[in-house]
Amino acid sequence: MVSTPQVVGDTLPGADLNAPLLEVEDLKVEFRVRGKRVPAVRSASFTLERGRTLAVVGESGSGKSVTSQAVMGILDSPPAYITGGEVRLQGVDLLKQNEETRRTVRGNHIAIVFQDALSALNPLWSVGFQIGELFRVHRGTGRAEAKKRAIELLDLVGIPDAKNRVGHYPHQFSGGMRQRVMIAMALALDPEVLIADEPTTALDVTVQAQIMRLLKSIQEERHMGLILITHDLGVVADVADDVAVMYAGEVVERAGIRDAFKRPAHPYSKALLRAIPRVDTLGQELEVIAGLPPNPASLPTGCPFHPRCKAAEDRCAEEAPPLAAVAEGHTSRCHFAMEVYRDER
Amino acid sequence: MGRYVIRRLLQALLTLGIVLFILHYLMALSVQIRGNPAILFFGGERTPDPAMLAQVERLYGLDNGCYDRPGDPCLVPFVERLQNYAAGDFGTTLNGNRDVAALLGIYIPNTLRLFLFSTVTLVVLAMVLGTWAARHRGRLVDHSVRGTTILIDSVPVFLILLAYVYMMAVPLTRWARGIWGTESFMGQVFRPSYNPDYPWTTIVIPGIILGTVGLATLTRLVRASQLENIGADFVRTAKAKGLGQMRITVVHVVRNSMIPIVTGIGYLFAFMLSGAVLTEGVMGIPGMGYMIFNAVQRQEINLVIVGLTISAIVVVVVSLVVDLLYAALDPRIRYE
Repeated sequence: MVSTPQVVGDTLPGADLNAPLLEVEDLKVEFRVRGKRVPAVRSASFTLERGRTLAVVGESGSGKSVTSQAVMGILDSPPAYITGGEVRLQGVDLLKQNEETRRTVRGNHIAIVFQDALSALNPLWSVGFQIGELFRVHRGTGRAEAKKRAIELLDLVGIPDAKNRVGHYPHQFSGGMRQRVMIAMALALDPEVLIADEPTTALDVTVQAQIMRLLKSIQEERHMGLILITHDLGVVADVADDVAVMYAGEVVERAGIRDAFKRPAHPYSKALLRAIPRVDTLGQELEVIAGLPPNPASLPTGCPFHPRCKAAEDRCAEEAPPLAAVAEGHTSRCHFAMEVYRDER
Repeated sequence: MGRYVIRRLLQALLTLGIVLFILHYLMALSVQIRGNPAILFFGGERTPDPAMLAQVERLYGLDNGCYDRPGDPCLVPFVERLQNYAAGDFGTTLNGNRDVAALLGIYIPNTLRLFLFSTVTLVVLAMVLGTWAARHRGRLVDHSVRGTTILIDSVPVFLILLAYVYMMAVPLTRWARGIWGTESFMGQVFRPSYNPDYPWTTIVIPGIILGTVGLATLTRLVRASQLENIGADFVRTAKAKGLGQMRITVVHVVRNSMIPIVTGIGYLFAFMLSGAVLTEGVMGIPGMGYMIFNAVQRQEINLVIVGLTISAIVVVVVSLVVDLLYAALDPRIRYE
C-alpha cells in the first residue's frame, strides 16, 4: 500500500564489468556523540572479486561490522558518519550515489546476512512475507507470485517442507533454520555481493558447520563474491580465499588464506593464529594476546597495537606504520612486516 | 487461536459476573445500613402507611427480608435482577416512573457517538504526532510535539469545554450559518449545545474536545514504543533489504509498536467515561454520563445500578477487544 512497485534493472548505471566486483578503499567512519568524534573505522581497504570469499577478521570493536554496514549504506546517521574513502561496486563509487540508487543497490546487488536471525527477522510477519517483500518492492511482483518465489528460496537453502513453512513465523523456527531463512532472504534478488556478518556466532557448533557449508556452496554455484565477517579464524580456514585482518578500525593485513595462515606478516595476525586451539598443540596452554582492545575514543599513539605487541620497539609508539607489501598480494601495516613475514620476529 | 479466544471470553464473563456482584452487594449494604430507599417515594419526611410502603417495596424489588439483615449478600434479588436484565427489563425510575429501557435507548447511542468521535480524534492525533516525534527524536519537532500535547492535556477538559461554549461556539455558529445556512452540517456543527434533530452533527465538537483527554499520554506511548522498534535489528534488516522509509515505518515499525498503544487506548477508553460525565453535562447531551450523574444526585438506585452495569460491561468488552487485538497483532501470542 505504501511502496511504489518499481522494476529495477539488474545492472547498476555506469557499471564496468571489467572492474573488480567490490573495492573498499581507505573507508573512514566516525561516531559523533555529544560533540565528540570517535573513529570507528579509520582505514578499511579490501578488494573482492567475483566467485571469491573474503574473510574480514577482527576482535569485537575492531570496526568490521561498521565497515559492512557502511558498505551496505545502512549506518544510522546520527550517530555514525562516513568521513572518507570509496566503496566501488564494479567501478561505481556507491558513496557518491543518491539515496534512491543506494536503496536499489541494497538487495539487488549487495545483500547481508546478520548475526542473530531471531532479532534480525520481524517477529510479527511470516517468513514468506518477509522474503516475498523483496520481490514485491523491487520487482513489483504480486502477492501470490512472491510467495511462490519465497517457497523456492526456502527450498534452496534446505528448509524441509518449505510449502508449509512459508507461512510460519520466525519464532517457530530453530536457530539454524532461522539463519537459513535470513540467507534465503539475502539471496532473493540474486545479488553479486553477499556479506555475512558473523552468520554462525549465535548457533551451536554442528549447525555452524552446516551454515558455513551452505553459504559456500551457494556462493560457488552463483559465482558470487562473499564477505565473511568473523572473529573466529578457525571458521574461515576452509571456506575463505582471502583474509583481511582488522584491528582498531584499520585493516592491518591482507593476504591469501594460505599465506595468512602459514606466514602472517603482522604481529597481531600471528598472535591471533596462536590463540586458535589445534590438534598438534594439544595439551599445551593456548597463548593469549595480553591486554584489551584499545578504546576507539583514546587510541594509543603510533601503531595502535604497540602496547600489546611482542615485537614492538620505541618507534612503534611514535610512528603509525603504512600498509606495505611483503609479497605479491600480501600487505601488512607494520614497521617490521618483512621480519614478521620471514618469522624473524 | 480458537482456544485463546474462548479462554479470554470466559475470563471476561467471569470478570463481569464478579463486578456485577460487587455492585449489587455494595447496593445491598447501603440499603441495609442507610435505610430503605422506598421511603423516598413518599417524599422522605413522613412515615408512610406500612401497607403502602410494602407495596412500593414490592414494586422496586426491596421486599426481600435480606435487606433488613446487614451483611447479607442478598443472592435471591441478585439473581432476580440478572434475570430481569437478561429479559430486557431494567425497571422504572423512582421519579416519574419512567421506563429505564426506553431511557437507555436515548442515552446509549448518544454516548456511543461521543466516544466514537473522541476515540478517533485521540487515536489519529496520537498516532500521527507520536510517529512524527519518533522519527525526529531529539529535534525541534519532537520537543514541540511533547510541549503542545502536555499543554493541551494539562488544561482540564471542562475548561476547554466552557471556553468553547462561551467564547467560540456562538461566533463560529453565526459565521457558519451566514455562509452555509442553518440547516447545513456547518450550520449545526459549532452549536454550543446538543440538538436532538442533529444527533450526529452536534456531538462532533464535544467528541473532539473529549478526545484531547490523555492525548499527551498516548502520544508519548506511541513515540516511546516506536523508538524502541526503530532501533531494532529487524528494522536494520528492512533497510538492508532496500525498502523505502515509508514502507519501513508502516510495515516494520508501526505494527510492531501497536501492542502498548492498543493497551493505552483501552485504558484511556475506560478513563473517557469520567470525561463523558463532564462533557455531556456542559454540552447538554443526554447520554450515559449525564444519566449516571443525575441518578446519583437523585438517589435513583435502580438507575445507578443500570448505569454502572453498562459501564462495567463496556470496560470488560473493551479489555476483551484489546486482548483479541493482541492476538491479531502478534503471532507469538496467538500460538502461545
